[in-house]
Amino acid sequence: MVNLTIDGRSVSVPKGTTILEAARQVDVHIPTLCWLEKVSTTGACRICAVEIEGVDRAMTACDTPVKDGIVVTTQSDKLTKSRKQIMELILVNHPLDCPVCDAGGECDLQDVCYELDVTRQEFKAEDVNPAVIDHWPLIQQVPNRCILCEKCVKVCYELIGADALFVNDKGDRAFIDKKVENCTYCGNCVSVCPTGTMISKPFKFKARPWALKKVPSVCTYCPSQCQIDLNVKDNEVYRVTSNDKGTTNIGNLCVGGFFGYGYINNKKRLTEPTIEQNSVSWDRAFERVVTDIERIKAENGAAAIAGFGSPRLSNEENYLFQKLFRAAIGSNNIDTEARFGAQRALRGLEKGLGLHGASHTLESIADADAILVFGADPSAEAPGVDWKIQDAVRRNGGKLVIANMREIHLTQFANSQLTYKPGSSASLAKGLGRLLMDRGHLNEDDLKRTVSNLDELKTDLSSVDLDKVIEATGLNREALELAADIIGNADNVAIIFGSDISKSSFGTSKTALIANLAILSGALNSGGGLFPLDEKGNTQGALDMGVYPEDLPGFQSYSENKDKFSKAWSCVLPDGGLDADGILQEIEAGKVRFLYLAATNPQSFSNSSRWMKALEKVEVLVVQDIFPSEVTALATVVLPGCSYAEKTGSFTALDQTVRSANQAIRPVGKSREDGAIFAELSGRLSKTSVAFSLAGTKAEILELTALYEGASTLDDDRRTCTRKAYQAADQSLNYQLITEDQGVEGLQLLVATSSGHFGTTSTWAAAPLEVEPEGMIQVNIEDAKGAGVADGELLKLTSATGTITGKVLVSGKIPQGLVFSPNNFIALGVQQLMPDGENMTSVQIAKG
Amino acid sequence: MSQVAFSSWGRQVIDNRQGGDAEVEVAKKKLPVTFDGEKQISAFMGWDGLILNDPNVDVVAMAAEYAERVQEDYCCAKCSPGRKGTRVMQDTLARIVSGKGEESDLDTIENIAELLQNCKCTLCQTSATPIVDTVKHFRDDYLAYINGTAKEKKAVDYKVKMTAPCQDKCPSHIDIPAYIEAIKNRRFDESLSIIRESMPLPAVCGRVCPHPCETACRRANVDDPINIMVLKRTASDYEWQHNHQPPMISKPKRDKTVAIVGAGPAGLAAAYYLALEGYPCTIYEALPEGFGGGMIAVGIPAYRMPRHILQRDVDIISAMGVEIIYDTRVGTDISLMELKEKFDAVLMAPGAHKSKPMGVEGEDEGYKGFLEGGIEFLREAYMGKPTGMGKKVCVVGGGNTAIDCVRVALREGADDSILLYRRTRNEMPADSWEIDGADEEGVQFEFLVLPKKIIVDDNRQVTGVECVRMELGEPDDSGRRRPQPVEGSEFVVECDTLIPAIGQDPELSFITEDTGIEITRWNTVVTKFVAQKNAAGRDLNDEMGNPLSRVLVTDMDGVFASGDAEIGPLTVVACVGNAHRAAKVIQRWFEEGEAYLTDEDFHEDILTHLGVYDKDEEVPWLDAVKRFDQKEVHGKERASEGNYNEVELGFSDTDAVIEAERCLRCYRVSMIAV
Repeated sequence: MVNLTIDGRSVSVPKGTTILEAARQVDVHIPTLCWLEKVSTTGACRICAVEIEGVDRAMTACDTPVKDGIVVTTQSDKLTKSRKQIMELILVNHPLDCPVCDAGGECDLQDVCYELDVTRQEFKAEDVNPAVIDHWPLIQQVPNRCILCEKCVKVCYELIGADALFVNDKGDRAFIDKKVENCTYCGNCVSVCPTGTMISKPFKFKARPWALKKVPSVCTYCPSQCQIDLNVKDNEVYRVTSNDKGTTNIGNLCVGGFFGYGYINNKKRLTEPTIEQNSVSWDRAFERVVTDIERIKAENGAAAIAGFGSPRLSNEENYLFQKLFRAAIGSNNIDTEARFGAQRALRGLEKGLGLHGASHTLESIADADAILVFGADPSAEAPGVDWKIQDAVRRNGGKLVIANMREIHLTQFANSQLTYKPGSSASLAKGLGRLLMDRGHLNEDDLKRTVSNLDELKTDLSSVDLDKVIEATGLNREALELAADIIGNADNVAIIFGSDISKSSFGTSKTALIANLAILSGALNSGGGLFPLDEKGNTQGALDMGVYPEDLPGFQSYSENKDKFSKAWSCVLPDGGLDADGILQEIEAGKVRFLYLAATNPQSFSNSSRWMKALEKVEVLVVQDIFPSEVTALATVVLPGCSYAEKTGSFTALDQTVRSANQAIRPVGKSREDGAIFAELSGRLSKTSVAFSLAGTKAEILELTALYEGASTLDDDRRTCTRKAYQAADQSLNYQLITEDQGVEGLQLLVATSSGHFGTTSTWAAAPLEVEPEGMIQVNIEDAKGAGVADGELLKLTSATGTITGKVLVSGKIPQGLVFSPNNFIALGVQQLMPDGENMTSVQIAKG
Repeated sequence: MSQVAFSSWGRQVIDNRQGGDAEVEVAKKKLPVTFDGEKQISAFMGWDGLILNDPNVDVVAMAAEYAERVQEDYCCAKCSPGRKGTRVMQDTLARIVSGKGEESDLDTIENIAELLQNCKCTLCQTSATPIVDTVKHFRDDYLAYINGTAKEKKAVDYKVKMTAPCQDKCPSHIDIPAYIEAIKNRRFDESLSIIRESMPLPAVCGRVCPHPCETACRRANVDDPINIMVLKRTASDYEWQHNHQPPMISKPKRDKTVAIVGAGPAGLAAAYYLALEGYPCTIYEALPEGFGGGMIAVGIPAYRMPRHILQRDVDIISAMGVEIIYDTRVGTDISLMELKEKFDAVLMAPGAHKSKPMGVEGEDEGYKGFLEGGIEFLREAYMGKPTGMGKKVCVVGGGNTAIDCVRVALREGADDSILLYRRTRNEMPADSWEIDGADEEGVQFEFLVLPKKIIVDDNRQVTGVECVRMELGEPDDSGRRRPQPVEGSEFVVECDTLIPAIGQDPELSFITEDTGIEITRWNTVVTKFVAQKNAAGRDLNDEMGNPLSRVLVTDMDGVFASGDAEIGPLTVVACVGNAHRAAKVIQRWFEEGEAYLTDEDFHEDILTHLGVYDKDEEVPWLDAVKRFDQKEVHGKERASEGNYNEVELGFSDTDAVIEAERCLRCYRVSMIAV
C-alpha cells in the first residue's frame, strides 16, 4: 500500500492508484472533464491538475499514480486561476447554442463551468472549426462543440475494438473524424460525449433530457442482456441509455441496444386482434381461440393442438404458456425455436457436465488467462460477451484462441485463429483434446476427482489420429500445438461456443466435444468457465421454464415429474408430447390441426418454405406477435402482444443471471401483455377466473422448481438474481465418446446472425436498417471470380431445397469454399435453402 | 567580434546588439555557419531560446511565424492548453504583425505562455520559451509594430522541423514519442507503422539495438530513461503474435532498377524504402539462403536475436518486391561493373565482416586452435560449421563481438570461456548489459592483460597465450585511460583456443580501381558531402569522424554506398538510418537526375550536431513509476551447450503500456531563418 496526504487527509491506496482515485476515497473532489473511468486516461483537459510538494509543476491527478509520502494540494489560488483560464481557453469559439444543443441539461462542460465559476472570456481567436459532419449514418458530429477529450475515440477503440474514430488534423482545426467502414454504430461515442458533439440523429431534437423518464430494464435483443434504461415520454421510447456503474456492460451498448429500440413504437405494430384478418374485440378473439381449442380437442383430442413459446417472451410468460398448454389445453406439444440450437447444446452439456447453461457469470470471462471461442461470433451473437473477451485479452493479459470457419471481429485480437474447413469442427475439438494430453496440459488431480470415466477419456484421446485432424481441418500442426499450449498453459480457461456448433447438424454431439474440452482444459474448475451463446434474448429463460416436451419447468423430466405438476396444477397432464420436428410432421400428416405461435415466426426457421407450406395446412393458426408477416397473413386469429418495454417480467441471460425488465410504456394500441393473454385463455379454458399475476407466477416458479436455489438476489432496480457459483462435484463429469465428423462436399453456405441485427425484430427498427438494409451474401474473392460476380452484384444460390438471389459482398474474412449469409432478413429468404434444422448446406452459386 | 547579436539559448542571455562581443559557445561550436553549405543561418529559434546571428532579422515576424507553424503544423490538439492556447498565441502575434495589435496583447502572450506550462507534453509548452524571450528582449520591436512604426527588415526564409531528444539521438531518427504514445493507447499496430517509417527491421532493433536514444531521454532527468528499445520490441512482437499482416503496400513498379551489394541492415533497409517507392531491388548476398540479415544473421547470436523473428523481417522485405540472390559474392561471382551495366543504380552495403589482426606473436603461423577472428567464429557457429573451438577458450577484445564470442563459446560446449581485455570493465565498449549477461553465464574475465605471444605444443596446437599485465595511464583521444604494460609481469593463460575479436573491417576488394571509387585509410568508401563549418572555422563531423552531411553517392555516377562500409563499423540502427538516407538520395537521383540532400536532411544533421537533449535540464515531474525492465531467463543453464533460446523475454502488453505512460513526449520545434 502507498500512503499519501491529500488536502491534509491521509489515505492509503494500492500501488498504481492515481491521485484522482485516491482523492475520491477520502471524498476530496477534484474537477475533471476528460476523465472516464472505463477507458485509459487521456489527460487532455488538464483541469484536474494538483500541486505536489517538491514537484515544481502541477501534475494531472487523473493520470499520475501515487507515490509514497507525497503531499498533494488540490485547491489553491494558483490552481483555481489556471483551471479557470484553461476552461476559458476550452470555451474559445464554443458556440452559445446550449438551448438547442442535445446535451443541454446533461452537459459536463456546462457543469464544470458552473462549478469553477467560469463566467467570462479573456481570450479570442479565429474560429477555425470545421463544419458539422452530417454524412455519417445515424450519428452527427458538431466539431465546434468538441473539447477533444477523446472519450469517444477511446471507447470506440478500447472497449468495442472498432477503431473507427480518430483525431484528424492539427492544432485548433483538429476534429473527431471517422473511418466509416469500421463503425459498428454501437452509439457509445454518443453516450460518452460530455458535450453535444456526438449526436444520435434518431434522437436529435426529439426530447429534452430532463423531460424523459428513465425506466430500468434489460435489453432483450441478445442473451448478454445488457442493463439499460428506457428513456420514455408520452408512452414512447425516445432513447436507450445505460449506466457505467452497476451494470455488467459498464454502460456500453451495441447497435441493437443503442439504436434498435425503434421497433417498439413502430407504426406498423399489430395493435388490435383480428379474426380472419378482420379487426375484432379481444373478447371475440379469445372466444374464437377457446371455441376452436375445445372443438378440436373434442374431435381429435388435445394432441391435435400444438404451440410454440418464445425466447422473446419473459420467464413468467413462458411459464404461463407451457402451463396453458399442459394444464388448460392438455397438450404437451410445445416447443420453441431453441429446438434448432440451444436445446442441442443443452443436451450436450447436461449429459456430460450436468449443466443447463453457462457454468460461470460473464464477469469471469474478463479474468480468464486463455479464452477459446469455438464456432461463435460473440460480436454478433452476444456483444456483451465480446466486450468481456476484449477485457481479458486486451487489458488483463489473457490470450485468445478462435476456432471458426471464418474470420470474425475478434480475430484481430487472437493469438491463434484456427480457420477450420467446414464440417471439421468435431475433428478440431478432438485434435485439441489430444494435444492437450500429449503436451502435458492435463491436470491429473482435478480430472481424477471430477471425471467419472477417466480411463475412457484417455483411451479415446489416444485414439485420435492427429494426421487425420490436420487433413480434415486444413490446419497445420504448429497452429494446433500453439492453440493447445495457449489453452493448456492458462490457469483460468474460458470456453465460449455459439451457433456454428449448436445450430449445426449433430449440434448435440459437437457440444459434447466442447464439453469434453471444458473438462480437459480445466475450464470448469477454474475462474474461466463454459459459455454457450444462445441465439435470442431469453432462450435460457424459455429452456428454464420447460417450454419443450421433454421437461417440465426447472429441467424436471416430464415423464418423471408429471404427477407432481398434475397435483400442483390440479389437472391431469397428458402423456407424450411432440417437439418442433414432430409438430411439423404431424401438421403435414393432418394430425395437428391447431397451432399457436407465440412470438415465433417460422419464416426464420431452416427449410422455411416447408414450414410455410405446413402453416397453410393448419386448420386453426393462432399468431400472437407484434408485427405483421406472411405468417399473420395466414392466421385465423391474430393476438397483438407486447414488446419488453411494455411489460414487467424477468429475463435470464446466457450466464443464467435473472433480471427484471420494468414496464416503461403502456401496451401500444390495443395490444396486451403476452402473460395476460395466456392467463386469460387459461381462465376461459378452465372456466375459472385466472387473473394475470406476476408475483403469483414467480412464486409458483419458485415453489415448483429448484432453478433459483441458493441464488442471491440484489435489491436493485432490476432485482438481479445470480445463481449459486458452479463447482464441479466429485465424479460429476462425464467425458462423452463421440465419433468424428462426416465431412462435407462442395461449396458450403453457412448462416448465422449479422452483427448489425438481432433476429428479425431489428429489421422493424429504422436505425439498424439504415446501416444494414438488406442481407448481403459474403463470399471469398476467388469464389466470386469463379461465379463471375463482383461486389454488389447479384448472386444466385441454389441448394437442395431452393434457390434465392441476393447481393454479393466480397469479403477477405471468408475463406474459399465457404459462403456466409445473415439469417436476419426474411426478404432474402436464405432460410429456404437450409435443410431441416441445419445452419449449413451445400450450394451452387452463379451470377444472378 | 562575435557572430551572434543576441542569444537566450540555454536560458543564458547574451546581448551584443549594442556592441560587445560576448561569445555564445553553442553558436560558435555546435551550429554551422550555413544551413546547407551555401545559405547563411541568420537566426535560430527553438525550445531553449533564440540565437540571432543577423540583427536585421525581424524577430517579431519570426516569433509570429514560429507560433503559426507550431499551431498549424505540429500541435497534436490532444490537450486543451496546447490546442487552444497556441491558437490564441498565433492569432495574437498575427494581429501585432498586421499592425492591429495592442500593448495588452503582450500580456496575453505571457499569460498564454504561462498556461502552456500545463500542457500534456513539451511541444506547445517549449514553443512559448523563445516567444516570451522575444517579448522580453525585443519589446521595442513589438511596440514599433503596435505603434505603426515598424521598419522593413531583412527578408528571410524559414526552415522548420519538429524533433525530440530521443528521436534526434536515434541514428535512424525514429519518431519515438509517437510510437510510444501509440503503445500507451494500446495501438500496437499503429506504433509499428510509425516505427517502420524509419526502421524496417523493428524486431531486430527492438532486441539488439544499443539504444543511444535512451541516453538522450528526458525522463532520465526525473528518474530513469524510458525503456524505448523494449517498447519497440513490444510493437513488433504484437504483429506476429497476432498473425497480423504487415500493412505496407509498395507503389506500382517503376522501370528503374537497383542492385544492392549485401543483405545486411543497410542493404535491407535501402531495399525496403526503394521497394516502397516502387523501385525493384535485387540484393546480392554472399551468404547462403536462410542467412539474410548480414551481420545480424551471422554476427548476433540467436539467444539475442531469434532467427525466425529476423527471418520474418527479411521475408517481409522480400515480399515487398525485393529479390535476394544468395550465395553470390560481388567481386567473385559477379563484378561491380557488371552490376553497373545491368542496373540503373548500385548501392554498396557489404558490411564489415573481416576481423582485424591482433598483432600477437605467432598469429600468422596457422596454429591449430588459433582462430581467424570473432566474427568468423560467430558466423561458423551459427551456420553449424566446424569452428575449430576446443574446451578452454580465450577471446581477446572488449566490444560486443568479443562478448558474443565468449557467450557463444559456452553454448558451443566450452568448459571455460575467458575474456582477455587490456583495460578494465569500465572501459569496455561492449554494452554493460551484455557484459552482465556474460558474467551471469559463467564467463571468466581477465582485465588489464595484453596477449603477446601464442604458446603451442609440438603439434602446433595452441596451449596458451602469454600476456602482460597492464595498468591505466593518462586518457587518450577517446577519453579512456590508456593502458600501459607493466614491465616483467608476463604470465601465461592456458587455453586450447584463442579468438581475436578486437574489431572488424569491411572487405572492399570488389571495388576495383577502374571504378574510380576511393577508399579511405580506415577502409571505408569515400562518398560526396556538403562541407559544414562552425563559426570557429572547424569542419563539422559525425561521431565517427565522417563529414556531417554526406550525400552517400560515390565518385562513380550511379553508384552509392551505405552501412558499415561507408560509416565505419557501427550499429544496426546507424546503418539503417544511413541506408534510409541513401534510398532517398537514390530516388532523387532517379527522379530528378541529381543526388542531393534536402532541407530536411540538413536540418536533421544540424540538430544532431547541436544536440537536442540537455542532461542538465531540471525536469519537474513526479517520479512515481519506476523504469520497467523486461524479464529474462536467469541462471547458467540458459547458456548450456546448444541452448540458443532467447534470453530476454520482452514485455506483456500491459507492462508496455505502463512503461509507455512514463514517456514525457518531449517534442520541440526548431526554426532556422536563412
